[in-house]
Amino acid sequence: MNILNKKIGILSLAMTISLSSCNEDFLNAVPELSLSDATVFSTPARVESQVIGLYGSIKNGAFLGGRYLIYNDIRAEEFVNRTTNSVTGYSTYQGNQDPSDTYIANFWTQGYLTINRANLFLEGLAANPNAVSATLAGNYAGEAKFLRALTYFSLVQFFAKPYALDNGASPGLPLRLKGEVTSANNNLARSTVAQIYDQILKDLNEAEASLPDNYTTPLLRTSRAHKNTAIALKTRVLLAKRDYAGVIAEANKIVSAAAPFTSPNRVAHALQPDVVSVFRAPYTSTESILSFPMADTNAPGTQNQLGYYFNAGNVEYFINTGPTGIYSNPQFTATDDRKTKLTVATTAVAASPSSTKFSGVSPFTDFVPSIRYAEVLLNLAEAEAEAGSQTRALALLQAVHHRSDAGYDFGTLDKAGLINAILTERRIELFAEGFRTNDILRRAQPINSFGAGALIQPTETRYIFGIPLAETQVNPGIGN
Amino acid sequence: MRKQSLLLFMLGILFTAWQAAAQERTVSGKVTASEDGSPLPGVSVTVKGTKLGTQSDASGVYKINVSGNATLIFSFIGTVSQEVPVGTRTIVDVQLVSDNKQLSEVVVVGYGTQKRTEFTGAASTVKATQIAERPVQSFSQGLTGQAAGVNITQPNGLLNNPPVIRVRGLSSLSLSSFPLVVVDGIPITTGDVSGNASTNNPLGDINPADIESIDVLKDAASAAIYGSRAAAGVLLITTKRGKAGKTKVSIDSWAGVSNAVRLPDVLNAQQYMDHKNMAIANALTLNPNAVAASQRNDKNQSFLPAYNKDGSLIDTDWYNEVYRTGFSQNHNLTVQGGTEKTNYYFSAGFSDQDGFLRANSFQRRSGRLNMDHQATNWLKLSANINFANSLNKSPNSGSYTGGAFATSGLGRIAVAQVPNLPAYNEDGTYNIENNTVGRKNNLLPAQFPNAAVLRDLDKNISETNRIIANLGAEIKLYEGLTFKTTYSWDFRNIENIRFWNPYNGDGQSAQGDAYNQQTRADNWNWINTLQYMKTFGEKHNLSLVAGSDVQKRRTTQWGAQRQGLADFFFQDFQGNFGTNLAAGNAITQVAYEAYLGSISYSFANKYFISGNYRRDGNSALSAENRWGDFGGVSAGWTISEEEFFKNLGFGNKLSSLRLKASWGKVGNGNVNNAYGSYSTFGSGLYGAAPTLAFNQAGNRDLKWETSEQTNIGLDVSFLNDRITFEANWYNKNINNLILDVPQAPSKGIPNNSILANVGSMYNKGWEFSINAVPVNKGGFTWSTNLNFSTNKNLVTALVDDNTPILTNTSGLEATSITKVGYSAGQVYGVVTRGVNPANGRRIFVTRDGKEVQYLHHGGPNAWTFLDGTQTTSPSAQQQILGGTIPTWYGGFNNTLKYKGFDLGINFTFSGGNYIYNGSKAGLRDQRVWNNSVDVLRSWKQAGDITDVPRAVYGDNVSNGSSFLISENLEKGDFLRLQTATLGYRVPSTFGKTGITSLRVYVQVNNAFLLTKYTGVDPEISTNGDTNTASGIERNSIPQGRQFTAGLNLSF
Repeated sequence: MNILNKKIGILSLAMTISLSSCNEDFLNAVPELSLSDATVFSTPARVESQVIGLYGSIKNGAFLGGRYLIYNDIRAEEFVNRTTNSVTGYSTYQGNQDPSDTYIANFWTQGYLTINRANLFLEGLAANPNAVSATLAGNYAGEAKFLRALTYFSLVQFFAKPYALDNGASPGLPLRLKGEVTSANNNLARSTVAQIYDQILKDLNEAEASLPDNYTTPLLRTSRAHKNTAIALKTRVLLAKRDYAGVIAEANKIVSAAAPFTSPNRVAHALQPDVVSVFRAPYTSTESILSFPMADTNAPGTQNQLGYYFNAGNVEYFINTGPTGIYSNPQFTATDDRKTKLTVATTAVAASPSSTKFSGVSPFTDFVPSIRYAEVLLNLAEAEAEAGSQTRALALLQAVHHRSDAGYDFGTLDKAGLINAILTERRIELFAEGFRTNDILRRAQPINSFGAGALIQPTETRYIFGIPLAETQVNPGIGN
Repeated sequence: MRKQSLLLFMLGILFTAWQAAAQERTVSGKVTASEDGSPLPGVSVTVKGTKLGTQSDASGVYKINVSGNATLIFSFIGTVSQEVPVGTRTIVDVQLVSDNKQLSEVVVVGYGTQKRTEFTGAASTVKATQIAERPVQSFSQGLTGQAAGVNITQPNGLLNNPPVIRVRGLSSLSLSSFPLVVVDGIPITTGDVSGNASTNNPLGDINPADIESIDVLKDAASAAIYGSRAAAGVLLITTKRGKAGKTKVSIDSWAGVSNAVRLPDVLNAQQYMDHKNMAIANALTLNPNAVAASQRNDKNQSFLPAYNKDGSLIDTDWYNEVYRTGFSQNHNLTVQGGTEKTNYYFSAGFSDQDGFLRANSFQRRSGRLNMDHQATNWLKLSANINFANSLNKSPNSGSYTGGAFATSGLGRIAVAQVPNLPAYNEDGTYNIENNTVGRKNNLLPAQFPNAAVLRDLDKNISETNRIIANLGAEIKLYEGLTFKTTYSWDFRNIENIRFWNPYNGDGQSAQGDAYNQQTRADNWNWINTLQYMKTFGEKHNLSLVAGSDVQKRRTTQWGAQRQGLADFFFQDFQGNFGTNLAAGNAITQVAYEAYLGSISYSFANKYFISGNYRRDGNSALSAENRWGDFGGVSAGWTISEEEFFKNLGFGNKLSSLRLKASWGKVGNGNVNNAYGSYSTFGSGLYGAAPTLAFNQAGNRDLKWETSEQTNIGLDVSFLNDRITFEANWYNKNINNLILDVPQAPSKGIPNNSILANVGSMYNKGWEFSINAVPVNKGGFTWSTNLNFSTNKNLVTALVDDNTPILTNTSGLEATSITKVGYSAGQVYGVVTRGVNPANGRRIFVTRDGKEVQYLHHGGPNAWTFLDGTQTTSPSAQQQILGGTIPTWYGGFNNTLKYKGFDLGINFTFSGGNYIYNGSKAGLRDQRVWNNSVDVLRSWKQAGDITDVPRAVYGDNVSNGSSFLISENLEKGDFLRLQTATLGYRVPSTFGKTGITSLRVYVQVNNAFLLTKYTGVDPEISTNGDTNTASGIERNSIPQGRQFTAGLNLSF
């Protein structure tokens, strides 16, 4: 019996240990490297981190931190593909991009991820009224709306027919303004282009009202939205709507009446004397209204880097020096700083010229420009030339051009000539910054695609991107 | 030694003691195993027609007294019984042949072993002897064709690439369908644990030579003990244990070579230049900028010859830079033995294998100690300790899961690299230009890096140090009542090392890139059971089990990535770099907790019933739903034990007949995402500012995915068990499938998916297995096993009938669809219908049957109907093209023996499935890539009837690179001679050397393959173990063919 007792003793000991190890906590495994959604409004710091997270989302290399600019630049006549790599935009370059292209789906997905994050944040902010002060809450809501507007605007330009074609009557985008966290609501039809523009402008107007005037440091002023940022973006959006009066009205809030053109309100935006400095560290001059910061620990990611595409990084695309490209345009003279200092004749990779706006070496941490004062001046110039003062238009054009090419004489320009010179100037000034194709589309012109070797007419399917297959397959309601 | 043989051994001793009567003369001899000549202790030796008998001793020697014209019967568990007439001999040596048939054997089940005759579930047993001799890295690769209901696919020839194992079809869609692997009671990790382009199968840490047997538990009733982890079946690995008796020392060695087989024929330099220049000429007529003027000469040619010093044309066979004859060797030393109270098994193993892919190697150094000790008459202790160091090295082959489109993937580079460019310059330096092979006289740059640089200078290493140990005690509390406790610990440290050189390839842009990651995986499991066994009134057998099972797995990973070498002198992470980044950090924890009970009852070895119940908890499910109740029942009827049957007069012709059935419901706890019920925000950076961003939409309702499994089986044996036949019908109904439910990307849900329980699927099929000894005469035996299985997989519900699951290959190519009404993982693409003879354009077919043709560089006329009217791209007109899950498969295994010779011939076969040969799309792609010789028959002029469209430079659409086309879909049926082994046992004339047995053998693996599939191998899985994207070949390296020679030596 002794032995039996001993045995039972061992057994009960084992059972006790076994059972005591198995209390309720045993099965409790919570994420240790991500935060629960229940805690993200619990401190003011976390709320601010969420706002900054929206910027982090929009500046993803698949979106405005890289690919948005690249697709805009390679679709037209400025660049020649070097590597025929199908994951670095080759089909877009050749004008045979297809809804099945995964890289385009990634672009769409990153855009809408940003929109959902903004929607969720706006809802969370409303649901947690005491999370931060009312002022901060207003500022943050303004930032979220600004970023939602910028995202919708970036997407609608690619995936919908331009507003100019039919005043926005074409199918636009699925307009999502509510946060999504469940499996519901896959089906959503496209709103019209006009409806998307209305939402964009609504968001920007509200953002303008609640954003701060300025920030405490040049870095914050450049990398986060303030009132002038929303206004600047409005000039871009209204220009795409051909609302020239609107452009002038908005631009006048941040552009002085006459040269030297600077912003009279809040942040004193101004052109920098040397254009090169805008693209070099610390990237935070008053000319950079919005730029996306990069760092070693926050780089654009593989095959998203501008310097990898357009500079010696890998020269995926080199400059088209032929007659259709801007490089050989007479307005872009050989002595222009933007040619002498922001391009090189050859790289180790290619025997043809490349852009050096963005550094050609890893880890490619140049800030990615999104809104520059030079663009605002050219937006205003175009609107003035179209529907306002030709004199001010020319003065604005000269301000931009003469900074880099002081001796250039535009001669006498009639209205059409002036508009043409402004549009040409945009190609020179905003080269490789993601404007070229949109500047063509917003005026409903054919794309002179070098890759396709042809003019792509607004009537053609390939004039815009098709809705990605990834979307149509799960959202059949979207239509084609 | 198995329980049953122990029992027999003891019975034998009793029997012998009881036998004491004096006889007329003494016959003696030695009983050995025919496989390895080792002495067989405990063999029962009886005199036919009498009750006289004895047992062989520890060295296999027996002595028995016989009278007159006696015949001795030698019988031993797991071998074919032999009757030997003594005649006038006084020494009768006997070799017993091991018995492949399984009916008489035991089955290892969760909490012990069961006689097959009492077993009412479905299980297959594989003897591991043959696997140990094969040139494989893990036992899992050697299971092909060995067991009914088990389908194995080796993804490709990359060393230690985890095979895809499916027990009775696909067990889940989103959760792992890989069976649970249990080594001596410890559930261990499976899947690729490498952090880089080498593959590291954790099953490779188990030395195949240590394995005694592998039992595959296939139905819910048998796998019940492993509950929620066992929804995909269980592979129970039993390692060898010492046997009482003289210490036995064995040395087992093999060495061999391997080569890549079935590499496609690609264009040589001249063919390449001619073809590509023709394609450029064609392209320029359509688009004047198809190739920029600066990238062609005045004859519109971009590809121009370069010459060697001796004036010969440079014509590089890139296969030589990528593949080789790999040499491998494997050695194993075993010492085993024991006393009645203690037995031990010690082994040390060394395996050094070089792949046919250059710079690909696998090295394992392992040691194992298994011990059992009967401490007192009520306490039995057992301990196993296994230490292994596995070192996996590889260049980037693009052949690991997710790597198909890696720019530096040598599988693709070997075929696609430009052949008129050399690997080396005349001065011996690498021919490189920026990030590709140098272009020499070509005017267009190449697209891929120089294979020689990647092979020589890049490093991908995954090294595991692992200890698997368990300690168990069995306490006999009372007659029939046993308490058993086992604590198991599987602790793994993995060092993943990756270095990308700064010259060419993935590290060029970053000027050198080093990424090291450390993984620490701590996995423990504690099982306690209380078992009561009782026999009442001789015929009633009752067994009760109650127990608990807890397991926790915690994996922590940390690492860093360093970029921008300070000096190209450095080739290691430890060098000096400009940029330092955190990389590869993760923490995951999973816990399981279960309580179980089971009851079994049998009557007179005729009727068997059992039932089990489990309550399972799983930390990966939502707090409200993490506990589930599961269980099963089973029954068996041994008809041949019935009196009426015995009276039917079949005699030995129909020696046994048995019916069995089981039903059970288990939960599937193999949730890939340990935290799928939580909605979370991830922390990141915006420049230098910290961010928080929504990164997972969780599901608070996440509950158990369940699997209801039914098995009905029939066991028959004929001719005194010389032929046995086993048939099983199974039905696995899987409900509440946990799926990554696809979300419209415009909703902005992270990863466009949410885990949810929405879906059902079933697997149904038959399994047949015949074991026979057709010939056993005059020293010649032929034993054979034929197994054949069918599987019908059907998805019966998903989110809804119209929302399929679409799965990409390597995140880039949309290849696969899982849809209600079809088997999982169908190939999804656009139907094509050959090439238009009038103009050489590929004809695509829309869903409504309209034919559309494609002209690359055609601008608005790129897509036209055959009458020339414009239309749009049919890329969204995909249709379901074919299922990728084999519907039938099996093996045909033969062992022939004559005197000292043995010949093993194992065939495997599989079919009924389609494979998407995506590599073919690449081989016909009209960019700068080299092409298959197929393109030589491309369309040239009106009227040409061909399957290859007109070559237009840059065309990545017509041949399926841009989106998947049915042209590249092929049938996957095949028959392979998996292994052929010829062995010879040297007659025992070793004198006083101490050698007891010596066998030498030669073997060929993958000797031949019969298939119509044109890719590298119909046994391929570029997406590895991914459930919903099987049957895809994309840029993987091929399989190898191995020739080996080996020896087994015992002292």
